[in-house]
Amino acid sequence: MVESYYLFSSGELKRKDNVVRMTAPDGRFKDIKIEMTRDIYLFGETSMNTKCLNFLSTNKIPMHLFNYYGYYTGSFYPKEVNISGNLLIRQVEHYTDETRRLIIAKEIIYSASYNIYRNVRYYHQRGKDLETQLDQLKALRKLISRAKNIQELMGIEGNIHQVYYTCWAIVVNQKIDFQKRVKRPPDNMINTLISFLNSLVYTSCLSEIYVSQLNPTISYLHSASDRRFSLSLDIAEIFKPILVDRLIFSLLNKKVISESDFDTESNFCYLKKNAQQKILKAYNERLEKTIKHRELKRHISYRHLMRLECYKLIKHLMNDKNYEGFKIWW
Amino acid sequence: MYIILIYDISTEGSGARISRNVFKICKKYLTHVQKSVFEGELTQSKLKKLQIELSEFIRDDMDSVVVFNSTQRRWLKKDFWGMNEEEKTSTFF
Repeated sequence: MVESYYLFSSGELKRKDNVVRMTAPDGRFKDIKIEMTRDIYLFGETSMNTKCLNFLSTNKIPMHLFNYYGYYTGSFYPKEVNISGNLLIRQVEHYTDETRRLIIAKEIIYSASYNIYRNVRYYHQRGKDLETQLDQLKALRKLISRAKNIQELMGIEGNIHQVYYTCWAIVVNQKIDFQKRVKRPPDNMINTLISFLNSLVYTSCLSEIYVSQLNPTISYLHSASDRRFSLSLDIAEIFKPILVDRLIFSLLNKKVISESDFDTESNFCYLKKNAQQKILKAYNERLEKTIKHRELKRHISYRHLMRLECYKLIKHLMNDKNYEGFKIWW
Repeated sequence: MYIILIYDISTEGSGARISRNVFKICKKYLTHVQKSVFEGELTQSKLKKLQIELSEFIRDDMDSVVVFNSTQRRWLKKDFWGMNEEEKTSTFF
């Protein structure tokens, strides 16, 4: 029920009346109801003071920062409150032990690829000819269980994505020359959209990890390098097909987003401000969307599924119940 | 659940102080829409918390706070006569 705030306008962020107030230069303001806020996304140029940061920290609200071009630049991650030394030890144990790490990594790829498969199957059923890709994906998924190390697993994942991306040209009704994933800088509309939405999924995952006891820097599929919250990359992997890819398909096929939403002079690298807002609105709606959970027997939002993923991982790490990644079931 | 909260604080005695505090407390949980009207999504526990916080100030014989609640926002039809203030409750700014 708690909300995420997306602040696009520039101005000042300050503590006032025990809430955080964003004031635009023209005097308009927005009060962020502190008790009901999950996280804050900043897209504009904002100045703030330590008082405000301290206040956010005591209220355990992470803040995600994006630069002028909409690229994720970092997060204000408040002091960890849900910490568990016990779990941290387990997390590290599972990371250093190659076989145990591989079990988790495999499960992540296995679920992610299943969700990818379902995406392709969905469009196949709706009259797009994707027969060959479906067969290829099926064959590649069989290799996952046989992978002997992380590198091999990453290789399979790469292949899966390669096949997956060949489907995109067929699925998307707009004429976009999309062959493969290109980052830094993205070279066409789809790549830009993927980059932008991926970074949003990472931040959403990070916000959910913050609530759980997990340490966000220790990951299993991705290497736990410095200066990155790589566990959120792991968890995001599973949700990207449902949250990012499906959203891109629907945005492009319904012509919500078209060429005019991009800065053409920069080779479609940058999204215009109003396009960013449109996408964020759609993304936020998607996260709030609920489904009936089979085991829990209640309505769960897509966002909450990420949290559940953290809990499942914790259970696995504590040898309570084997981790089984989220696979779309509807 | 979706809450609409309205209050009326008597100006008698330390009314000004009380209405100031009630205002600030409500702001932490709900969106301020009009002078003494707030609305927003709350959980059962947060609503209780709000009630406890407010009870410290509300004088039972003088002030009144009315809370309307609807199980979900979509059960509530909202129309604007006059200015459209849709963006007040939006999380985009």
